[in-house]
Amino acid sequence: MSDATTPLRDPAFLQAFLDTLIPPGDDGRMPGAGSLGLGETIVARIEAAPMLGPAVGAGLAAVRDAALERDPAGFASMPPHLRAEVVESQLAAHPMLILGVGLHLYPAYYQHPRVLEGIGEPPRPPFPEGYTVDETDPALLALLEARRRR
Amino acid sequence: MANEPVGVLIIGAGASGAAFAWSIAEAGMSVLCLEQGPWMKQGDYPSNFIDWETRGMGPFATSPNVRKLPADYPINEQASAISPLMFNAVGGSTILWAAHFPRFTPGDFRVKTEDGVADDWPIGYETLEPFYATNDRMMGVAGLAGDPAYPHHEPPMPPLPLGKSGNVVAAGFEKLGWHWWPSDSAVTSREYEGRAPCINLGSCLSGCAQGAKASTDITYWPAAMRRGVQVRTGCRVREITVRADGMADGVLYYDEAGALQEQKAEIVVLACNGVGTPRLLLNSRSPQHPEGLANSSGLVGKNLMFHPYAAILGIFDEPLGGRRGPTGCSIWSHEFYRSDPSRGFVRGYSLEAVRGFPPGQTSLWGMARGMLPWGGGHHDAFARLYDHATGMLAIAEDLPEETNTVTLDPELTDSNGIPAPKITYALSENSKKMLAHAIERAKEALAAAGAVETLDEPLMSAAGWHLMGTARMGADPRTSVVNEWGRAHDVRNLFIIDGSIFVTAAGVNPTSTIQALALYIADRIKKNIGTLFD
Ligand SMILES: Cc1cc2nc3c(=O)[nH]c(=O)nc-3n(C[C@H](O)[C@H](O)[C@H](O)COP(=O)(O)OP(=O)(O)OC[C@H]3O[C@@H](n4cnc5c(N)ncnc54)[C@H](O)[C@@H]3O)c2cc1C
Ligand code: SF4
Repeated sequence: MSDATTPLRDPAFLQAFLDTLIPPGDDGRMPGAGSLGLGETIVARIEAAPMLGPAVGAGLAAVRDAALERDPAGFASMPPHLRAEVVESQLAAHPMLILGVGLHLYPAYYQHPRVLEGIGEPPRPPFPEGYTVDETDPALLALLEARRRR
Repeated sequence: MANEPVGVLIIGAGASGAAFAWSIAEAGMSVLCLEQGPWMKQGDYPSNFIDWETRGMGPFATSPNVRKLPADYPINEQASAISPLMFNAVGGSTILWAAHFPRFTPGDFRVKTEDGVADDWPIGYETLEPFYATNDRMMGVAGLAGDPAYPHHEPPMPPLPLGKSGNVVAAGFEKLGWHWWPSDSAVTSREYEGRAPCINLGSCLSGCAQGAKASTDITYWPAAMRRGVQVRTGCRVREITVRADGMADGVLYYDEAGALQEQKAEIVVLACNGVGTPRLLLNSRSPQHPEGLANSSGLVGKNLMFHPYAAILGIFDEPLGGRRGPTGCSIWSHEFYRSDPSRGFVRGYSLEAVRGFPPGQTSLWGMARGMLPWGGGHHDAFARLYDHATGMLAIAEDLPEETNTVTLDPELTDSNGIPAPKITYALSENSKKMLAHAIERAKEALAAAGAVETLDEPLMSAAGWHLMGTARMGADPRTSVVNEWGRAHDVRNLFIIDGSIFVTAAGVNPTSTIQALALYIADRIKKNIGTLFD
């Protein structure tokens, strides 16, 4: 079973796949990667990657086809644990799949405002507010004071 | 097209070109700098945007082969264990640098005398000391006076705060009784000559939007321009031209529109860094200089030194607040800096604590290390890594070897059709042993600091930040390219002022020494102006 359209261009499939790689956290703090609207950016970057792009395309097509074999409704309709099983089953034949997607997905996910909030970071650019850091431990400075070359 | 001739023509507006320009402007000659890149705008730096990490990997990537901006030239690095990194703009590589600002130690200028390897420099620490001090003032250096690893010097600003991660790592060194000291950093710890203090953005390696980090576009260049120096941007020099007697008389360059221009000058000064300078010399062949300009020794492009780096990371149970603060500026250690025959290698290395990693970078190294799974365990694994990792870099003293080279690639060219450089570089056995030793010691320090797990990257390949040795200085024209004050042995009105002229590399970052040398050479020119070409 296979389909000529690339799964990268199938929004429901892509959302389900991204949610499988980074699912929503149990306590609701961390969103699933599929829900953040990152698809378009990630797809453009994957497609522009000369080596990994085709490897990812082939891997995703294999995931889609393996899912259809198990369930005619397809990957997007499967419960999360079955999706994970399907992805896992294709990794031996498509070892670059996770790396090829992760290289673009992970940084995009971890710069999203909702994710920044989830990990306890302010959801803003570093500049202009900046951040504060701890002062140098005075006890350490006192030790250096005694060793100073004058 | 010909332009009005100038007295001094500097090629390259980076760390060395800027320092030299500011100083030489006092001599009363007209001074022009040609720079292939543009002026940068702080509002464009990635830290103005929430996706700053991604921007830092694209248009602000440290490799010109990744960035591929109009100002960049390609570099064939296939035969190199380490990728050369740089930025091409007014400010040069200081736009992206970490601003970790150690000086060389006095012994670094006497390697042959101390250890019987490589060569001694024709000048010493004492000669450069006043220029180090001027440079510290001009760049704006924060640090703590009194480091016993160095002769006494007083940084003009108090040290930067170490932050939690620096305090934790320093305590590890303390437990072991090993040398450590807060690093000298070219970053403002308070208001300094119109520059605002560092606000701990942690994005130094993709440009400092705050203007706290000393890139020379905001330090030396405004001061040099107030002294009348002109900077012409978007101008890529193709070759240095010579008169019938072999002396330099100017350059041919492509302007921003791609038109070939001619610029005549009485003195030509090369400041294109340890890759760009040999490239330009080798591209400047003439009947008078058939092997390239200033290359009668055959040493132009040879003895390339990089500083092989290893990264060592500790994972801690406690949160470290580590992604905040100037990336490369925390503490250094010279505990293993000098030769010790029992270690099985000559010379030594320094350890430089770095801060933590921002979220995107954490996810990428976590994935690369197999420590950040996809699926169910992802969030727990990320929480264990993020804000819980910090570490250090080991900077090995690279010894000069003639087989490590910058040559011209026979096919690759830049956008103006100028032959591009090719790097050939292999790590020596000495450097390998040094890095292996460094990794074990750094892990010891991190364990003493409380790390529950340590990891290492035994050779960082994307770490060719320091480009040195490819037009070395020396007294003998047969074994060196320039004399002890940067003048080419073969071409008496040609000076080289960047890291190319280093004889050896020391085990610390080079830029304060590059700039001190540039100031020293400018000073010698000013003092000898009447007899300069004798
Ligand atoms: C990411 C990064 C981090 C670093 N961190 C540190 C650090 O913490 N501490 C430290 O000491 N050093 C650090 N360095 C190294 C430091 O930036 C360099 O040592 C220093 O900038 C070298 O100065 P330079 O003048 O020799 O060359 P550069 O600063 O590289 O400037 C050379 C200039 O010449 C121009 N040029 C080259 N060829 C031509 C041509 N044909 N025509 C016209 N213009 C030309 C280039 O565009 C460039 O602007 C770092 C470097 C990088 C890339
Ligand atoms: S940490 Fe400080 S030096 Fe680095 S980018 Fe931020 S403000 Fe600039």
